[in-house]
Amino acid sequence: MRIKAPIRRLAVTLSLALGASLAHANPDALVSTQWLADNLEREDVRVIEVSVNPGKFERGHIPGAVNFRWHTDLVDTVSRDIIDRDGFEQLLRDAGVSNDTEIVLYGDSNNWFAAWGAWVFDIYGVDNVRLLDGGRNKWEAEGRPLSIRPTRYDAGDITVAEADDSIRAFLPEVVEIASSSDPSAQLVDIRSAAEYEGRIIAPEGVDELSVRAGHIPGAVNVGWSNAVDEDGTFKSAEELRAIYAEAGVDGSKPVITYCRIGERSSHTWFALSKILGYEVKNYDGSWTEYGNSVGVPVTNLAGTVWGGQ
Amino acid sequence: MTYPAMNTAPAHRRGGFISQTVAVAVALALIAGAWRLAGMGDSTLALSLLLGAGFGLCLQRSRFCFFCVTRDFLDHRDARGLLGIVAALAVGTLGYHLVFGLFLPDPGGGRLPPDAHIGPVSWVLAVAALVFGAGMALSGSCISAHLYRLGEGAVASIIALIGVLIGFGLGFLSWNHLYLAGIDQAPVLWLPAHLGYGGSVLVQLSGLGGLAVVLMIGHRRRQPAAPVNESPDNGGVAQKVLAERWPTYVGGLLIGALAVAAYLRVAPLGVTAELGSIARTLGNHAELIPARLQGLDGFSGCATIIKAGLLSTNGAFIVGLVMASLAAALTAGQFGLQPAPVGKSARHLAGGILMGWGAMTALGCTVGTLLSGIMAAALSGWVFAFFCLAGLWATWRVMGFLNRASTRG
Repeated sequence: MRIKAPIRRLAVTLSLALGASLAHANPDALVSTQWLADNLEREDVRVIEVSVNPGKFERGHIPGAVNFRWHTDLVDTVSRDIIDRDGFEQLLRDAGVSNDTEIVLYGDSNNWFAAWGAWVFDIYGVDNVRLLDGGRNKWEAEGRPLSIRPTRYDAGDITVAEADDSIRAFLPEVVEIASSSDPSAQLVDIRSAAEYEGRIIAPEGVDELSVRAGHIPGAVNVGWSNAVDEDGTFKSAEELRAIYAEAGVDGSKPVITYCRIGERSSHTWFALSKILGYEVKNYDGSWTEYGNSVGVPVTNLAGTVWGGQ
Repeated sequence: MTYPAMNTAPAHRRGGFISQTVAVAVALALIAGAWRLAGMGDSTLALSLLLGAGFGLCLQRSRFCFFCVTRDFLDHRDARGLLGIVAALAVGTLGYHLVFGLFLPDPGGGRLPPDAHIGPVSWVLAVAALVFGAGMALSGSCISAHLYRLGEGAVASIIALIGVLIGFGLGFLSWNHLYLAGIDQAPVLWLPAHLGYGGSVLVQLSGLGGLAVVLMIGHRRRQPAAPVNESPDNGGVAQKVLAERWPTYVGGLLIGALAVAAYLRVAPLGVTAELGSIARTLGNHAELIPARLQGLDGFSGCATIIKAGLLSTNGAFIVGLVMASLAAALTAGQFGLQPAPVGKSARHLAGGILMGWGAMTALGCTVGTLLSGIMAAALSGWVFAFFCLAGLWATWRVMGFLNRASTRG
């Protein structure tokens, strides 16, 4: 069952207060590598890898984990959208997930797509979803075992809810915020400073571009990596709160995170929403939608002109 | 015009003290390099270096050269070399299917196993393989053999490899046109998707078995001079391993196993990804090739990405290959700087250009597309093999004709 956002926030805040002595807060959102190692044998725990790089899972994964491919399993491969409800439900059932299964997500590249996966799970109201703190990198760095054997599970019987778009921002809402003198939400751009400032349109090596440089007016720039320590684990709630507060994001207002395609911004969505308990939407259209839209306001600090001198 | 003598190296005398010392130094440098890479926390790079070394050792010791063994059969009806390649493919087929069972339990689900060299089957592939085969015949070796020859001191192989880089550049220039003209709509056919793993193994091994029978029938038992495997003295094991050429099937069996290990841990065997990346990076830098190569990065094969770091896994693999070949050649007394006269150099350069173009447009060469493709039960691998042989054979005939004509004249 899905808990309404304010109640959830209250619950998270309470649990934060209770767990204030913990170095890394919200125990409901994260599991440590040690916890996972200790609970790997439990039948009601299902570990799911969502990695960016194909072939990563196959060449070794956390024993018993199943593989969700972000670019085919969790999206509609024809139109730009996340997977539909029926497809997602079937995917989970095939992975042996039932309503009472505890799900742990992890992935490569600092859990970027695992966090994005967590966002999709949240949209479909799947509870009991936690992220492996530090992701695949930390598990490997600690020399913990990997397996190449695939594991098949008996089909589960989970029922997922209809998509809840309260944690997903769409273009009209973002344009309205960008155009407003008193915006209803705070935009957080988690891309690099060079992208934010409009000095470059996209990082090197990516094909999906926009025809405008810059950022959405009013957005503050806090790179995604500010949220993690060197080992890839999330910083403590106190540290996170201070980092985002410094940029003017203190949870007093709803937040919308975005990046280029909505992947890395899920990581910040996770930090703000699941760890700090702020009310946060992820804008998965991100700059590849906004920067290609006609007639929307743009802030381009560098003045980079697309298409010529 | 004559072919370069491939097989005349003094195979039976171990290298002198200096050669042996340098060989040991090279081997130690390889181990130290792997140690250092592993110490930097990059076990994949370290492993690639060592796998490359293993591959280079097998290539050099067993003279695993696609062109030479084909020519042995065409010239002397000596099928042993080609049977060595069949052995590699058979072992690789079995191993690949074992790994596929882990990577992709359900082959019929519409997915392809990650990274396996399963490419589109189009007329472009056929033309690319023909041209590659012609380039092999012209330059006297395929790309992998030029790399191990480099370790034997063949200066002309450097010229062939420069040709390969140029050919890659030409490949990039023609890619966008070819992609829309024939590649993007071409089917990507993977046998297990249609036959299941069992059926695929059965079909592949039957095909390879049939090929082996044909080769054995065609094989002439009494060879005029067979310097490859026979030793005048009965040296010990060290002599057999370090100085004498290994029978090609020994290299083939080892390469088959190595290919499976490489696929399981890093990526399928391939020798052109690094060369292609160098060509693409240079071409990009000089703004000579299109910045956008349509669809290229979406295909499995010897991916030619723009270089991000100094050492890629394929780069480490190539370094290992050449160093191990050098050490092996030094130990066996087969190292010697071989001069590159103008005529030979021109032929190497031209052959290299053809091979570079063919390898770019076919998404790999005799290693990346033929070996790794057929082992992966990709139809593209078989198609490449067929047309590559056809190109090689046709060029061999033409060159033989020209050779006879010039001798008569």
